Amino acid sequence: MTEIDPEQNVAPGEPHSNILSETTAYVIGLALALGLTAVSFWVASTSSLWGPGVAVGLVVLAIAQMGVHLVFFLHITSGPDNTNNVLALAFGVLVVFLVMIGTIWIMGHMNDNMMPGPEITNLQMQH
Amino acid sequence: MLGKLSWDAIPFHDPIPLITSLVVILAVLGIGIWVWRKGYWPALYHGYITSTDHKKIGIMYIVLALLMLVRGFADAIMMRLQQSLAIGASQGYLPPEHYNQIFSAHGTIMIFFVAMPFVIGFMNFVVPLQLGVRDVAFPTMNNVSFWLTASGALLINLSLFIGEFARTGWLAYPPLSELEFSPGVGVDYYLVALQISGVGTVLTAVNFVTTILKTRAPGMSYLRMPVFCWTSLAANLIILAAFPVLTVTLALLMLDRYMGFHFFTNDGGGNSMLYMNLIWVWGHPEVYILVLPAFGIYSEVAATFSGKPLFGYRSMVFATMVICIVSLMVWLHHFFTMGAGANINAIFGIASMIIGIPTGVKIYNWLFTMYGGRVRFTVPMYYLIGFMLTFVGGGLTGVLLAIPPVDFVVHNSLFLVAHFHHVIIGGVVFALMAGYTYWFPKAFGFTLDERLGKMIFWCWFIGFHLAFMPLYVLGLWGGTRRMQHISDPSWAPWLNVALLGAVIIGVGIVLTVVQLLYSIKTREQRLDVTGDPWDGRTLEWLTLSPPPHYNFAVLPDVHGEEAYWIRKQTAIKQDALIDEPDYQPIEMPIDTPTGVICAFFASLCGFAVIWHIWWLAILGLVGAFAVFVWYAWQDEHEHIIPVEEVRANARERRRIRMEHLHSLSQST
Repeated sequence: MTEIDPEQNVAPGEPHSNILSETTAYVIGLALALGLTAVSFWVASTSSLWGPGVAVGLVVLAIAQMGVHLVFFLHITSGPDNTNNVLALAFGVLVVFLVMIGTIWIMGHMNDNMMPGPEITNLQMQH
Repeated sequence: MLGKLSWDAIPFHDPIPLITSLVVILAVLGIGIWVWRKGYWPALYHGYITSTDHKKIGIMYIVLALLMLVRGFADAIMMRLQQSLAIGASQGYLPPEHYNQIFSAHGTIMIFFVAMPFVIGFMNFVVPLQLGVRDVAFPTMNNVSFWLTASGALLINLSLFIGEFARTGWLAYPPLSELEFSPGVGVDYYLVALQISGVGTVLTAVNFVTTILKTRAPGMSYLRMPVFCWTSLAANLIILAAFPVLTVTLALLMLDRYMGFHFFTNDGGGNSMLYMNLIWVWGHPEVYILVLPAFGIYSEVAATFSGKPLFGYRSMVFATMVICIVSLMVWLHHFFTMGAGANINAIFGIASMIIGIPTGVKIYNWLFTMYGGRVRFTVPMYYLIGFMLTFVGGGLTGVLLAIPPVDFVVHNSLFLVAHFHHVIIGGVVFALMAGYTYWFPKAFGFTLDERLGKMIFWCWFIGFHLAFMPLYVLGLWGGTRRMQHISDPSWAPWLNVALLGAVIIGVGIVLTVVQLLYSIKTREQRLDVTGDPWDGRTLEWLTLSPPPHYNFAVLPDVHGEEAYWIRKQTAIKQDALIDEPDYQPIEMPIDTPTGVICAFFASLCGFAVIWHIWWLAILGLVGAFAVFVWYAWQDEHEHIIPVEEVRANARERRRIRMEHLHSLSQST
């Protein structure tokens, strides 16, 4: 009874030769994706979580959601013939990180060299 | 019915655009009639317009780039003339609203429709040949990419005849480019043309990243690829990262202008600084999209004409990939003066200077490739040496500009204008001219005239220095860029020297046309019979000139760096070619009008969006989608080249090569 069917013995996201097992993988992915979506709605509306923790929870769920999509629908695996995909993903993540963090940082600093605001320059306020 | 379009859009009262329009329309009609009378139309249609052959598409890109170079240069010489005339009391011959359109069109055309198609044209022509394969990964998409680029070029040039072009500079900074300050169609022409050609560019990048990663000849591992393939890979990766940002930025500005959004407006919570930030997230990597393939061309030229393998191949690859990543981290240096704090300016300034290090590595590699080599001073070699002398200077003024306190003094000045022309003409244009001379025989089977080629080089080299060195001086004196009128008469001598330089470059461009016509006329004297006119080292010189549609009868087996050089040396040593392989029938993609029809509908849609003709815009979109669906339902995408034809062609090539081999062994 210990014999494992090679059809079933594939990592999630790897291509299947059997349409049935492929469908199963997609169904698992769909169920996980829907589950994570439902949980994030629940997290946002519940009062059983500590208030400031809600945002953290949503970020964690969002990252998990991305993971599910990558593995089950976009077929990113750690297999040897998947190096290009993993590298492409890493490059994409790097670019998104640079553009987003860079933009937030730059726009946050935009007024550093501007004239100070009226509350400092208005001498009449200083009695 | 026709939106904003009316007879007022035609410039009846402006003699310059009106006469230009008439001349261009007559020229296009004349060429059309000539092609039809000579019976070349079917050859043009099947051989080029609908072709899925990467070599033909590459040639079309370069023809487009050369045509647009003439347009962009016409703008340049008009600006130089205006600045030389409009000094002191004189107002020159161009009113401000016309002058502003000219400098905007000059920048937009030179970057998007000269440099980009020229570089992409070389990638198309050379990369599959150097990788030892028969085509790119997606041949039909390649044709679509070209025609979408051409559609963008068409719309930009249409703005000369119908309506007006943007008066906002080549990056259309808001709030000036917002509806409130630019109510005309000029900015819309800019936005729509770049959106359409941008789609073409992204598709090209998808195509070439896939081609380089997935389709290489047997044995062509990553570290055996020629440097031009590496630099093309890096450039296409940057396109994939940066061009979507451009698309989104321009789309946000379109939402502002068309639907009353407030992303970049002065009111309603908009922030125009965000546009500067986003446009340079694309804009700085764009510089490297252009210059990395140029570095690739120099590497091929240096190795071939020094008769030596490229010095430091691996360091070259490493430097290329470092530039690929770091180029995405320096964009703030384009707006140091916009109000950011000292920390952020310092970090981006240092990152900008760091890019100089891998670039310096490359310069030394080319120098050491020449050192101890048997250098042949051909035209491409002139460009390589001219480039090294020029580009190092441009790089040094770049390091100056990367120091934020210096930038506060010279930003937006003629010093900046001189700097970026220094690196783009000295770096990119010289490479494009070198590549044009180097690969021309591969494309057409005969070399270009050497004497005229050297004259063209001297025109570019001397003309560039005369045109832009005075601008450095004027910039340090406080000369601002984009001035329609000069109030200080003491600048006149410098501006006149700059005009002289532009005229000399103009002579070079005219000589390029003369060289082409003269070389076609006297081609019998310079036929490239062997397919290897320069004693090359990479696989494109293995096949005949011009190569057959399928490039290689059998995919070459690669046994090390410089695949073709090893093979050639083995053949010379053994005085024999490799054994005749077993030829097979070859499957090649069929020609398709998908690209040109798709671009026709895209142009229609773009024109309609510019003029607010909404029914036509919907028609264009539906048409483009219908072409896509029609293509998807086609059953046949390939045709078979019979084995007899392949074998006959391959035997003919072997016979030529054997003769060449015997003549070599007799001479030694």
